[in-house]
Amino acid sequence: MTDPAVPAWHAVALAADIEPGTSAGTRLHDRELVVWRDSAGASHVWEDRCPHRGMRLSFGFVRGDHIACLYHGWAYDTAGQCRAIPAHPDLAVPETIRVPTYASAEASGLIFVWSEMGATPMSPPAARPLTALRSLFVEATPERVAALLAGRFAPGPDGSFAGCLAGADVVLFLQPFTAERTGLHVTIDGAGDGALVSRGAEALRHAIEAAAPSRFASLEFAA
Amino acid sequence: MSQPLESPRLVLHDYELDADCYKVRLLLALLGARYERLAVDVHPGHEERSPAYLALNPRGSLPILEQDGLVLAEAEAILLHCAGLLPGGGALVPQDGADHARMLSWLFFARGPLAAAGLARLHAMLEAPGDGPALERQALAAFRVMEDHMTAQRIAGSDWFVGAAPSLADVALFPAIALSRDFGVDHDAYPALRRWMRRVRALPGFVTMPGIPDYH
Repeated sequence: MTDPAVPAWHAVALAADIEPGTSAGTRLHDRELVVWRDSAGASHVWEDRCPHRGMRLSFGFVRGDHIACLYHGWAYDTAGQCRAIPAHPDLAVPETIRVPTYASAEASGLIFVWSEMGATPMSPPAARPLTALRSLFVEATPERVAALLAGRFAPGPDGSFAGCLAGADVVLFLQPFTAERTGLHVTIDGAGDGALVSRGAEALRHAIEAAAPSRFASLEFAA
Repeated sequence: MSQPLESPRLVLHDYELDADCYKVRLLLALLGARYERLAVDVHPGHEERSPAYLALNPRGSLPILEQDGLVLAEAEAILLHCAGLLPGGGALVPQDGADHARMLSWLFFARGPLAAAGLARLHAMLEAPGDGPALERQALAAFRVMEDHMTAQRIAGSDWFVGAAPSLADVALFPAIALSRDFGVDHDAYPALRRWMRRVRALPGFVTMPGIPDYH
Protein backbone atom coordinates (compact mmCIF):
# COMPACT_ATOMS: atom_id res chain seq x y z
CA MET A 1 0.00 0.00 0.00
CA THR A 2 2.81 2.42 0.77
CA ASP A 3 5.01 1.12 -2.09
CA PRO A 4 4.88 3.66 -4.95
CA ALA A 5 5.81 0.92 -7.46
CA VAL A 6 2.51 -0.90 -6.88
CA PRO A 7 -0.42 0.92 -8.52
CA ALA A 8 -3.36 1.33 -6.15
CA TRP A 9 -6.33 3.50 -5.26
CA HIS A 10 -5.48 6.11 -2.62
CA ALA A 11 -7.85 8.48 -0.83
CA VAL A 12 -6.59 12.05 -1.22
CA ALA A 13 -9.45 14.15 0.19
CA LEU A 14 -12.90 14.13 1.70
CA ALA A 15 -15.37 14.64 -1.15
CA ALA A 16 -17.06 17.40 0.90
CA ASP A 17 -13.76 19.27 1.34
CA ILE A 18 -13.47 19.88 -2.41
CA GLU A 19 -16.45 22.14 -2.95
CA PRO A 20 -17.85 22.83 -6.45
CA GLY A 21 -15.77 25.41 -8.28
CA THR A 22 -12.69 24.97 -6.06
CA SER A 23 -9.27 23.33 -6.25
CA ALA A 24 -6.71 22.09 -3.75
CA GLY A 25 -3.17 20.81 -3.94
CA THR A 26 -2.15 17.49 -2.46
CA ARG A 27 0.63 14.93 -2.83
CA LEU A 28 0.87 11.23 -3.46
CA HIS A 29 4.29 9.60 -3.10
CA ASP A 30 5.76 13.13 -3.20
CA ARG A 31 4.14 13.90 -6.58
CA GLU A 32 2.16 17.14 -6.60
CA LEU A 33 -1.48 16.67 -7.58
CA VAL A 34 -4.35 19.09 -7.99
CA VAL A 35 -7.80 17.92 -6.90
CA TRP A 36 -10.58 20.09 -8.28
CA ARG A 37 -14.31 20.03 -8.72
CA ASP A 38 -16.03 21.66 -11.66
CA SER A 39 -19.20 23.69 -11.30
CA ALA A 40 -21.27 20.70 -12.45
CA GLY A 41 -19.97 18.73 -9.45
CA ALA A 42 -17.50 16.31 -11.09
CA SER A 43 -14.10 15.92 -9.39
CA HIS A 44 -10.77 15.60 -11.19
CA VAL A 45 -7.21 14.74 -10.14
CA TRP A 46 -4.30 15.87 -12.33
CA GLU A 47 -0.64 16.58 -12.18
CA ASP A 48 -0.44 19.92 -10.36
CA ARG A 49 1.55 21.75 -13.01
CA CYS A 50 0.63 24.17 -15.75
CA PRO A 51 2.55 23.12 -18.90
CA HIS A 52 3.29 26.77 -19.62
CA ARG A 53 5.54 27.82 -16.74
CA GLY A 54 5.20 24.96 -14.26
CA MET A 55 3.00 26.92 -11.84
CA ARG A 56 0.86 24.75 -9.54
CA LEU A 57 -2.66 24.65 -10.97
CA SER A 58 -4.02 24.27 -7.44
CA PHE A 59 -3.12 27.96 -6.92
CA GLY A 60 -5.42 28.80 -9.81
CA PHE A 61 -9.16 29.09 -10.11
CA VAL A 62 -12.09 27.10 -11.43
CA ARG A 63 -14.56 28.67 -13.84
CA GLY A 64 -17.41 26.42 -14.92
CA ASP A 65 -15.87 23.24 -16.32
CA HIS A 66 -12.36 24.74 -16.74
CA ILE A 67 -9.48 25.26 -14.33
CA ALA A 68 -7.18 28.19 -15.05
CA CYS A 69 -3.61 28.91 -14.02
CA LEU A 70 -3.02 31.83 -11.65
CA TYR A 71 0.01 33.05 -13.64
CA HIS A 72 -1.33 33.69 -17.15
CA GLY A 73 -4.86 32.30 -17.13
CA TRP A 74 -4.28 29.33 -19.42
CA ALA A 75 -7.54 27.38 -19.07
CA TYR A 76 -7.94 23.60 -19.25
CA ASP A 77 -11.07 21.55 -19.85
CA THR A 78 -12.05 18.47 -17.82
CA ALA A 79 -9.86 16.24 -20.02
CA GLY A 80 -6.76 18.33 -19.23
CA GLN A 81 -6.74 19.89 -22.71
CA CYS A 82 -5.77 23.57 -22.87
CA ARG A 83 -8.67 25.49 -24.43
CA ALA A 84 -7.80 29.15 -23.96
CA ILE A 85 -4.68 31.32 -23.70
CA PRO A 86 -5.76 34.85 -22.75
CA ALA A 87 -2.64 36.50 -24.23
CA HIS A 88 -3.50 34.93 -27.61
CA PRO A 89 -7.31 35.01 -27.76
CA ASP A 90 -7.45 34.18 -31.49
CA LEU A 91 -5.09 31.20 -31.30
CA ALA A 92 -6.44 27.68 -31.93
CA VAL A 93 -4.71 26.03 -28.97
CA PRO A 94 -2.57 23.04 -30.09
CA GLU A 95 -3.74 19.60 -28.88
CA THR A 96 -0.25 19.02 -27.45
CA ILE A 97 -0.83 21.53 -24.63
CA ARG A 98 -2.30 19.13 -22.12
CA VAL A 99 -2.06 18.44 -18.40
CA PRO A 100 -1.34 14.78 -17.47
CA THR A 101 -4.37 13.34 -15.67
CA TYR A 102 -5.01 10.52 -13.22
CA ALA A 103 -8.03 8.23 -12.98
CA SER A 104 -10.11 9.25 -9.96
CA ALA A 105 -13.40 8.24 -8.38
CA GLU A 106 -15.57 9.11 -5.40
CA ALA A 107 -16.58 6.40 -2.96
CA SER A 108 -17.35 6.24 0.78
CA GLY A 109 -17.41 10.05 0.92
CA LEU A 110 -13.78 10.24 -0.25
CA ILE A 111 -11.99 11.13 -3.48
CA PHE A 112 -9.68 8.34 -4.61
CA VAL A 113 -6.92 8.57 -7.20
CA TRP A 114 -5.27 5.70 -9.09
CA SER A 115 -1.58 6.17 -8.41
CA GLU A 116 -0.34 5.41 -11.93
CA MET A 117 -0.54 8.52 -14.12
CA GLY A 118 -2.79 8.15 -17.17
CA ALA A 119 -3.56 4.48 -16.47
CA THR A 120 -7.03 2.94 -16.46
CA PRO A 121 -7.59 0.82 -13.33
CA MET A 122 -9.22 -2.62 -13.57
CA SER A 123 -11.99 -1.75 -11.10
CA PRO A 124 -13.27 1.26 -9.16
CA PRO A 125 -12.44 1.74 -5.45
CA ALA A 126 -14.69 -0.23 -3.10
CA ALA A 127 -17.83 1.74 -2.23
CA ARG A 128 -18.74 1.22 1.42
CA PRO A 129 -21.48 2.78 3.57
CA LEU A 130 -19.05 4.96 5.52
CA THR A 131 -19.41 8.53 6.78
CA ALA A 132 -16.32 10.60 5.92
CA LEU A 133 -15.37 12.68 8.97
CA ARG A 134 -12.06 14.49 8.45
CA SER A 135 -8.55 14.41 7.05
CA LEU A 136 -5.45 14.96 9.13
CA PHE A 137 -1.75 14.83 8.44
CA VAL A 138 0.89 13.04 10.47
CA GLU A 139 4.53 14.07 10.50
CA ALA A 140 5.85 10.51 10.06
CA THR A 141 6.73 8.27 7.13
CA PRO A 142 3.89 6.32 5.48
CA GLU A 143 5.67 3.03 6.23
CA ARG A 144 5.93 3.88 9.89
CA VAL A 145 2.33 5.05 10.16
CA ALA A 146 1.15 1.86 8.44
CA ALA A 147 3.25 -0.31 10.76
CA LEU A 148 2.00 1.46 13.90
CA LEU A 149 -1.63 1.38 12.76
CA ALA A 150 -1.36 -2.34 12.00
CA GLY A 151 -0.65 -2.94 15.70
CA ARG A 152 -4.03 -1.50 16.70
CA PHE A 153 -6.28 -1.69 13.66
CA ALA A 154 -7.13 -4.43 11.18
CA PRO A 155 -5.56 -3.79 7.76
CA GLY A 156 -8.05 -4.27 4.91
CA PRO A 157 -7.39 -5.49 1.37
CA ASP A 158 -7.81 -1.95 0.06
CA GLY A 159 -5.06 -0.58 2.32
CA SER A 160 -7.48 0.80 4.89
CA PHE A 161 -7.38 0.19 8.65
CA ALA A 162 -10.51 -0.72 10.61
CA GLY A 163 -10.98 -0.59 14.36
CA CYS A 164 -12.39 1.32 17.31
CA LEU A 165 -11.64 4.97 18.00
CA ALA A 166 -13.36 7.08 20.68
CA GLY A 167 -16.13 4.53 21.03
CA ALA A 168 -16.95 4.34 17.32
CA ASP A 169 -16.13 1.86 14.57
CA VAL A 170 -13.83 3.68 12.17
CA VAL A 171 -12.05 2.97 8.92
CA LEU A 172 -8.85 4.95 8.31
CA PHE A 173 -7.50 5.50 4.80
CA LEU A 174 -3.79 6.19 4.55
CA GLN A 175 -2.35 8.61 1.99
CA PRO A 176 1.41 8.33 1.35
CA PHE A 177 1.89 12.11 1.06
CA THR A 178 5.66 12.61 1.05
CA ALA A 179 8.52 10.56 2.48
CA GLU A 180 8.01 12.44 5.79
CA ARG A 181 4.29 13.14 5.93
CA THR A 182 1.24 10.83 5.84
CA GLY A 183 -2.39 11.73 5.31
CA LEU A 184 -5.12 9.94 7.26
CA HIS A 185 -8.71 10.16 6.08
CA VAL A 186 -11.05 9.19 8.90
CA THR A 187 -14.44 7.61 8.23
CA ILE A 188 -17.05 6.31 10.67
CA ASP A 189 -18.67 2.92 10.08
CA GLY A 190 -22.17 3.15 11.55
CA ALA A 191 -23.06 5.49 14.40
CA GLY A 192 -20.52 7.60 16.26
CA ASP A 193 -19.97 11.01 17.82
CA GLY A 194 -18.07 12.94 15.14
CA ALA A 195 -16.59 15.47 17.56
CA LEU A 196 -15.26 12.71 19.84
CA VAL A 197 -13.86 10.67 16.96
CA SER A 198 -12.18 13.78 15.55
CA ARG A 199 -10.45 14.40 18.89
CA GLY A 200 -9.59 10.71 19.05
CA ALA A 201 -7.92 11.01 15.66
CA GLU A 202 -5.84 13.91 16.98
CA ALA A 203 -4.76 11.75 19.93
CA LEU A 204 -3.87 8.98 17.48
CA ARG A 205 -1.79 11.43 15.44
CA HIS A 206 -0.02 12.53 18.64
CA ALA A 207 0.65 8.91 19.63
CA ILE A 208 2.13 8.10 16.21
CA GLU A 209 4.36 11.17 16.23
CA ALA A 210 5.44 10.51 19.83
CA ALA A 211 6.12 6.78 19.40
CA ALA A 212 9.80 5.93 19.74
CA PRO A 213 11.38 5.64 16.27
CA SER A 214 11.82 1.90 16.50
CA ARG A 215 10.17 -0.76 14.39
CA PHE A 216 9.08 -2.38 17.66
CA ALA A 217 7.23 0.75 18.76
CA SER A 218 3.52 0.49 19.42
CA LEU A 219 0.76 3.01 19.94
CA GLU A 220 -0.16 3.85 23.49
CA PHE A 221 -3.30 5.92 23.80
CA ALA A 222 -6.81 5.53 25.06
CA ALA A 223 -9.15 4.01 22.49
CA MET B 1 -26.05 54.10 23.03
CA SER B 2 -25.98 56.77 20.34
CA GLN B 3 -24.30 56.41 16.98
CA PRO B 4 -21.74 59.12 16.12
CA LEU B 5 -23.31 61.68 13.82
CA GLU B 6 -20.13 62.04 11.79
CA SER B 7 -17.66 59.32 10.89
CA PRO B 8 -14.56 59.60 13.05
CA ARG B 9 -11.44 60.71 11.19
CA LEU B 10 -9.10 57.76 11.03
CA VAL B 11 -5.48 57.81 9.91
CA LEU B 12 -3.71 54.51 9.35
CA HIS B 13 0.07 54.44 9.15
CA ASP B 14 0.44 51.53 6.83
CA TYR B 15 2.85 49.33 4.91
CA GLU B 16 1.35 47.45 1.97
CA LEU B 17 3.28 44.19 2.54
CA ASP B 18 2.80 44.06 6.35
CA ALA B 19 0.39 41.31 7.43
CA ASP B 20 -0.61 43.22 10.60
CA CYS B 21 -1.39 46.35 8.59
CA TYR B 22 -3.45 44.17 6.25
CA LYS B 23 -5.51 42.93 9.22
CA VAL B 24 -6.57 46.49 9.91
CA ARG B 25 -7.18 47.32 6.24
CA LEU B 26 -9.28 44.15 5.98
CA LEU B 27 -11.45 45.10 8.95
CA LEU B 28 -11.91 48.68 7.73
CA ALA B 29 -12.86 47.33 4.29
CA LEU B 30 -15.36 44.86 5.78
CA LEU B 31 -16.93 47.76 7.70
CA GLY B 32 -16.87 50.02 4.64
CA ALA B 33 -15.04 52.66 6.68
CA ARG B 34 -13.38 55.72 5.19
CA TYR B 35 -9.86 56.38 6.38
CA GLU B 36 -6.69 58.13 5.42
CA ARG B 37 -3.79 55.85 4.59
CA LEU B 38 -0.20 57.02 5.06
CA ALA B 39 2.34 54.75 3.37
CA VAL B 40 5.42 54.13 5.52
CA ASP B 41 8.70 53.12 3.86
CA VAL B 42 9.42 50.02 5.94
CA HIS B 43 11.55 48.24 3.36
CA PRO B 44 14.19 49.28 2.71
CA GLY B 45 13.84 52.62 4.53
CA HIS B 46 12.92 51.45 8.09
CA GLU B 47 10.98 54.70 8.36
CA GLU B 48 8.89 53.24 11.20
CA ARG B 49 12.04 53.46 13.33
CA SER B 50 12.94 57.02 12.29
CA PRO B 51 13.03 59.65 15.06
CA ALA B 52 9.74 61.12 13.83
CA TYR B 53 7.96 57.76 13.94
CA LEU B 54 9.51 56.77 17.27
CA ALA B 55 8.12 60.00 18.66
CA LEU B 56 4.67 58.89 17.49
CA ASN B 57 5.03 55.22 18.47
CA PRO B 58 8.06 54.35 20.62
CA ARG B 59 7.54 50.65 19.84
CA GLY B 60 8.77 51.23 16.28
CA SER B 61 5.99 49.02 14.93
CA LEU B 62 3.17 49.20 12.41
CA PRO B 63 0.28 49.57 12.05
CA ILE B 64 -0.47 52.78 13.94
CA LEU B 65 -3.98 54.21 14.06
CA GLU B 66 -4.64 57.86 14.87
CA GLN B 67 -8.10 59.03 15.81
CA ASP B 68 -8.96 62.31 17.56
CA GLY B 69 -5.69 62.49 19.49
CA LEU B 70 -5.55 58.76 20.22
CA VAL B 71 -2.40 57.08 18.89
CA LEU B 72 -2.83 53.31 18.98
CA ALA B 73 -0.32 50.57 18.14
CA GLU B 74 -0.77 46.75 17.91
CA ALA B 75 -3.14 45.42 15.27
CA GLU B 76 -5.46 43.48 17.58
CA ALA B 77 -6.00 46.52 19.83
CA ILE B 78 -6.80 48.55 16.70
CA LEU B 79 -9.28 45.89 15.58
CA LEU B 80 -11.09 46.00 18.92
CA HIS B 81 -11.10 49.79 18.97
CA CYS B 82 -12.42 50.12 15.41
CA ALA B 83 -15.10 47.49 15.97
CA GLY B 84 -16.33 49.46 18.96
CA LEU B 85 -16.14 52.78 17.15
CA LEU B 86 -17.47 52.14 13.65
CA PRO B 87 -20.99 51.35 12.42
CA GLY B 88 -21.37 47.61 11.88
CA GLY B 89 -18.36 46.79 14.03
CA GLY B 90 -20.49 45.45 16.86
CA ALA B 91 -21.58 42.53 14.68
CA LEU B 92 -17.98 41.28 14.70
CA VAL B 93 -17.77 41.20 18.53
CA PRO B 94 -19.79 38.41 20.19
CA GLN B 95 -22.31 39.59 22.78
CA ASP B 96 -22.24 36.30 24.67
CA GLY B 97 -19.68 36.44 27.46
CA ALA B 98 -18.09 33.07 26.77
CA ASP B 99 -17.86 33.71 23.03
CA HIS B 100 -16.41 37.16 23.70
CA ALA B 101 -13.71 35.54 25.82
CA ARG B 102 -13.07 32.94 23.10
CA MET B 103 -12.65 35.73 20.56
CA LEU B 104 -10.13 37.46 22.84
CA SER B 105 -8.30 34.19 23.28
CA TRP B 106 -7.88 33.88 19.49
CA LEU B 107 -6.75 37.51 19.24
CA PHE B 108 -4.01 36.72 21.77
CA PHE B 109 -3.21 33.54 19.83
CA ALA B 110 -2.75 35.70 16.72
CA ARG B 111 -0.25 37.84 18.62
CA GLY B 112 1.41 34.90 20.41
CA PRO B 113 1.98 31.48 18.83
CA LEU B 114 0.87 32.60 15.36
CA ALA B 115 3.34 35.51 15.34
CA ALA B 116 5.98 32.96 14.26
CA ALA B 117 4.27 32.80 10.85
CA GLY B 118 4.70 36.54 10.37
CA LEU B 119 8.35 36.35 11.37
CA ALA B 120 8.96 33.32 9.11
CA ARG B 121 7.45 35.26 6.22
CA LEU B 122 9.58 38.37 6.84
CA HIS B 123 12.64 36.14 7.16
CA ALA B 124 11.90 34.49 3.80
CA MET B 125 10.82 37.62 1.93
CA LEU B 126 12.82 40.49 3.36
CA GLU B 127 15.72 38.60 4.94
CA ALA B 128 14.68 39.75 8.39
CA PRO B 129 16.91 38.17 11.07
CA GLY B 130 15.68 34.93 12.65
CA ASP B 131 16.03 31.15 12.71
CA GLY B 132 14.03 30.31 9.56
CA PRO B 133 13.51 26.56 10.14
CA ALA B 134 12.58 27.08 13.80
CA LEU B 135 10.09 29.81 12.91
CA GLU B 136 8.55 27.57 10.26
CA ARG B 137 8.15 24.71 12.77
CA GLN B 138 6.43 27.08 15.21
CA ALA B 139 4.18 28.39 12.42
CA LEU B 140 3.21 24.83 11.43
CA ALA B 141 2.33 24.05 15.05
CA ALA B 142 0.09 27.14 15.19
CA PHE B 143 -1.55 26.28 11.84
CA ARG B 144 -2.29 22.78 13.14
CA VAL B 145 -4.07 24.24 16.18
CA MET B 146 -6.17 26.35 13.82
CA GLU B 147 -6.85 23.45 11.43
CA ASP B 148 -7.99 21.16 14.26
CA HIS B 149 -10.19 23.91 15.68
CA MET B 150 -11.85 24.65 12.34
CA THR B 151 -12.33 20.92 11.74
CA ALA B 152 -14.20 20.75 15.07
CA GLN B 153 -16.19 23.86 14.14
CA ARG B 154 -17.13 22.36 10.76
CA ILE B 155 -18.26 19.13 12.47
CA ALA B 156 -20.31 21.25 14.89
CA GLY B 157 -21.88 23.09 11.95
CA SER B 158 -20.07 26.45 12.14
CA ASP B 159 -18.02 28.16 9.41
CA TRP B 160 -16.25 30.54 11.82
CA PHE B 161 -13.65 30.51 14.60
CA VAL B 162 -16.03 31.64 17.34
CA GLY B 163 -19.71 30.82 17.56
CA ALA B 164 -21.80 30.79 14.40
CA ALA B 165 -20.85 34.16 12.89
CA PRO B 166 -17.70 35.94 11.69
CA SER B 167 -15.85 37.87 14.40
CA LEU B 168 -12.63 39.81 14.86
CA ALA B 169 -10.95 36.43 15.47
CA ASP B 170 -11.43 35.53 11.80
CA VAL B 171 -9.97 38.88 10.71
CA ALA B 172 -6.95 38.55 13.01
CA LEU B 173 -6.17 34.94 12.03
CA PHE B 174 -6.72 35.16 8.26
CA PRO B 175 -3.54 36.96 7.08
CA ALA B 176 -0.97 34.52 8.54
CA ILE B 177 -2.36 31.41 6.84
CA ALA B 178 -3.44 33.22 3.66
CA LEU B 179 0.17 34.46 3.26
CA SER B 180 1.91 31.22 4.27
CA ARG B 181 3.01 30.48 0.71
CA ASP B 182 5.33 33.50 1.03
CA PHE B 183 7.48 31.29 3.26
CA GLY B 184 6.90 28.05 1.39
CA VAL B 185 3.99 26.53 3.35
CA ASP B 186 1.24 25.33 1.02
CA HIS B 187 -2.37 24.83 2.06
CA ASP B 188 -2.40 21.14 1.06
CA ALA B 189 -2.62 19.87 4.65
CA TYR B 190 -5.29 22.33 5.78
CA PRO B 191 -8.67 21.37 4.27
CA ALA B 192 -10.64 23.01 7.09
CA LEU B 193 -8.66 26.24 6.83
CA ARG B 194 -9.05 26.26 3.04
CA ARG B 195 -12.80 26.01 3.49
CA TRP B 196 -12.78 28.79 6.11
CA MET B 197 -10.58 31.04 3.96
CA ARG B 198 -13.13 30.74 1.15
CA ARG B 199 -15.82 31.89 3.62
CA VAL B 200 -13.68 34.87 4.69
CA ARG B 201 -13.04 35.76 1.04
CA ALA B 202 -16.78 35.77 0.42
CA LEU B 203 -17.50 38.37 3.14
CA PRO B 204 -18.88 41.62 1.65
CA GLY B 205 -16.09 44.18 1.31
CA PHE B 206 -13.25 41.62 1.47
CA VAL B 207 -9.94 42.92 0.09
CA THR B 208 -6.68 41.14 -0.74
CA MET B 209 -3.05 42.22 -0.44
CA PRO B 210 0.04 41.24 -2.46
CA GLY B 211 0.53 37.49 -1.93
CA ILE B 212 -3.19 36.73 -1.63
CA PRO B 213 -4.62 35.99 -5.10
CA ASP B 214 -7.56 38.10 -6.14
CA TYR B 215 -9.73 35.77 -8.17
CA HIS B 216 -12.92 35.08 -6.28
